[in-house]
Amino acid sequence: MQRWKNFLQIPKRINISPRLLLAAGLVALFVAIPLVYIFFRAFTGGADVWIRLLQTRILKLLANTLLLTAAVTCGATFVGVSMAFLTERTNLPGRHLFRWMLALPLAIPAYIGGIVHLTLLRPRGGVIPQLLENWFGQPVPTPSPLGFWGAAFILTLFTYPYVYLLSGAAFRSLNASLEEAARTFGRNNWRTIWEVTLPALRPGLTAGALLVALDILSEYGTVALLRYETFSSAIFVQLSGRYDRSAASILSGILITIAIIILWGELRLQGQARYTQMDSQWRPASLLPLNRWKIPALLLVLLVVSASLLVPVFVLGYWSLTALLDPETLSSIMRSGSQTFGDYIWHSLWSSALAALIAVVLSLPVALLSVRYPSKLSKAISRFTQIGYAIPGVVVALSLVLLVNQFLPFLYATPLIVVMAYVLRHMPQAIRASESALNQLSPSMEEASRTLGRTSLQTIFQVILPLILPGLMAGASLVFLTSLKELPATLLLRPAGFDTLAVRVWIWAAEGFYIQAAPAALLLVLASALPLYFLLRREQIFK
Amino acid sequence: MKNSRKLTILLFVMMMLVSACGGGNTVSGEDAAVTEPALPVGTEAPVVVADESVAGDLVIYSGRSETLVQPVLDAFQAAYPNVNILLKSGSNSELANALIEEKANPQADVFITTEIFTVQSMYQQDVFQSYRPAAADQLPAEFIGPEDSWVGITRRARVIMYNTELLGADEVPTSIFELTDPKWKGQIAAAGSTNGGMQAQIAAMSQLLGEEATQEWLTGMIANEVTFFGGHTDVRKAVGAGEFKIGLVNHYYYYLQLAEGSPVGVVFPDQGEGEIGLITNATAAGIVQGSKNLSAAQAFIDFLLSPEGQELFAELNYEYPLIPGVALHPEVQSLDEYRLADVNVADAALNLDATLNLIETVGLP
Repeated sequence: MQRWKNFLQIPKRINISPRLLLAAGLVALFVAIPLVYIFFRAFTGGADVWIRLLQTRILKLLANTLLLTAAVTCGATFVGVSMAFLTERTNLPGRHLFRWMLALPLAIPAYIGGIVHLTLLRPRGGVIPQLLENWFGQPVPTPSPLGFWGAAFILTLFTYPYVYLLSGAAFRSLNASLEEAARTFGRNNWRTIWEVTLPALRPGLTAGALLVALDILSEYGTVALLRYETFSSAIFVQLSGRYDRSAASILSGILITIAIIILWGELRLQGQARYTQMDSQWRPASLLPLNRWKIPALLLVLLVVSASLLVPVFVLGYWSLTALLDPETLSSIMRSGSQTFGDYIWHSLWSSALAALIAVVLSLPVALLSVRYPSKLSKAISRFTQIGYAIPGVVVALSLVLLVNQFLPFLYATPLIVVMAYVLRHMPQAIRASESALNQLSPSMEEASRTLGRTSLQTIFQVILPLILPGLMAGASLVFLTSLKELPATLLLRPAGFDTLAVRVWIWAAEGFYIQAAPAALLLVLASALPLYFLLRREQIFK
Repeated sequence: MKNSRKLTILLFVMMMLVSACGGGNTVSGEDAAVTEPALPVGTEAPVVVADESVAGDLVIYSGRSETLVQPVLDAFQAAYPNVNILLKSGSNSELANALIEEKANPQADVFITTEIFTVQSMYQQDVFQSYRPAAADQLPAEFIGPEDSWVGITRRARVIMYNTELLGADEVPTSIFELTDPKWKGQIAAAGSTNGGMQAQIAAMSQLLGEEATQEWLTGMIANEVTFFGGHTDVRKAVGAGEFKIGLVNHYYYYLQLAEGSPVGVVFPDQGEGEIGLITNATAAGIVQGSKNLSAAQAFIDFLLSPEGQELFAELNYEYPLIPGVALHPEVQSLDEYRLADVNVADAALNLDATLNLIETVGLP
């Protein structure tokens, strides 16, 4: 979440600190190695493997992946913007409550939402088709949650909050004078929105949409569950099916290339999105009366909130209760080997927390460099370290399996390799949060500290860090939140006995034992809701 | 919003408490989900005197569905209370790949699979070390790996299960080749390409019939709009609920569904003149080279082949014990009545690779 305020201070040109540059460079190197290694493996993959893949897989996977990414991005943008519009700019009843409920699906990993909707909607066997059949006395055709449309539907439901949050913030910060001017020129309310408001939001919206697109490219659990094959799931199958790693490397190389193109677009837009408005003249835009559209609008919001939040949480709660009340089911979910349910919770919490801490620490030199010493080089390093957004979890896992086992065998099959994957994959969130926190800190504080005789390191620890701590916490929360739900990397990298909540959900759900999967899933959702709550409060979106 | 925040925190704390309590009291051994009329572990089996001399971490890679292996791990744990079992569940091939990757840096002590091709292929890759349990002398020769690299544990058959409310016993296909008949279009469920049992069936068919005929069968299944699930539990539940008339499963999934009270029947297929016979396979286990806890690994293999271990598989999961003298579950039909397909596992690695190529070529989901 960016704050669209332009900062008037021009940083003083100081000679770049070599130590800082070294530290930031090392972080960039850490991020780069897996990427470079995968490309190397892909291009040395051997012509026969390339030919086999080209003949059988690549075109179909490419079409499947791009189609799903495009559909979900469009769907999430549409749902996100319309929900933001209704809760921010109209007199929708209960909009203060809906603001929360529309953001909270971020705490539900899409594969868990998928499990719930699959059980409800599966053709013939699902709860809803069976209810309808009993009702009407004959089977009623219902939309299937499987395949392309199902995957698009479910992924839209659980990714629209990205767009919703970004566009909600944009709607709120939009100046009333802009729309008033449009009306002065004779536009009615709806035309004003269409011709003035939405275009003004475009940079932020597109950035949000591209984040959704990156998310879909790396999605594994949902597409595997709904049996729609994309690059991510195909890589997983190759990686777990064949010892020959070249096929997996080749598919990964192509997937990363697509992701980098999208990321590049997103980074460009991030730059342009600094939409300028003069603070002194800012007034909130007025609310639009819905009038006769009030009921349909309310129903629409209720529908989205139900499908993405209320129904999944209710169903998970019901299943968990069923599981907890049945002693036999309870005893079966409590153990795996000698491990117990408490171990899964503990593994999830500490690995995600450690990843959050490391990611924030590593983000500091990069953020300091790019904010305090702006130059082509520092900007390039900052951009480069955000490459993790473009490396799906399954690719991170592939590169770490290959690299660590070869060069750092003592790290292999320890929980630390899992943490390392989380850091690699989620560091961009920490970097963005740290940069935005530093951007809001005036350099004069540091100058005063240096003038008073502190060294640069003392200044960092005694002045900068305490001041930007809340911003760093936000970054840490984001990394924690996303690490908690990370599935493919954890599945592939976990040492024996190191199952996390996400892994347990998957092991049960992949076998069709949804009730057994529910308690871990519910806990995962609740554990994600806490940091999310903190983030939403901090963003001052919700009062 | 204050209240909802309190509620969230309260719920979270409650869940933690419940799970913490539950975690502490889980000594009873059966698994509810799969075995409704389950026998508590230890009621039928002879009382085992706990052996405290075997201790330490025992890392088990298991390709078996966790519900089906955990009761046995619990019983082993009861017999060897000082062993700390670290289980990694996954697909046969996923774990096999991990084992190959880890050859220079071994992590696992024991590998359990749902079929023999994978363990044979692990033998060919030098992943296993030799161990001949005392009970091996009682095993049929085809269930002992070369150089005692692995042992078979239980046997299972690939059968056709059907919903008796939707299909009369005389209408059910008696051969897996009838499943490609267009009259069953959209009415069949099976496990998909990532499932070990399905992979092994394809490998066995390639060997019996040749690759071309197998490919034809697979494309026929896909053209017939067979629904491929991730695992057999989905298949049996869907057939039990009447979502599908027919399911292609391992035999015990039929019995597990029957035990849940569903109207299901079973056919042991391909028994006619000129047909290939019943395709069977066996679960198997081996000790990994470089195992860091050999005594625990050997104790575990011994336990799997002990009467107690074999009885657990037979009683809780309706499998065919490989050790003679261990009784079948009373409801299970003996394999003696059927003609079995003759599959040779010697070239397993070659078979598995060809199978994966075949799966990719036909695009099996």
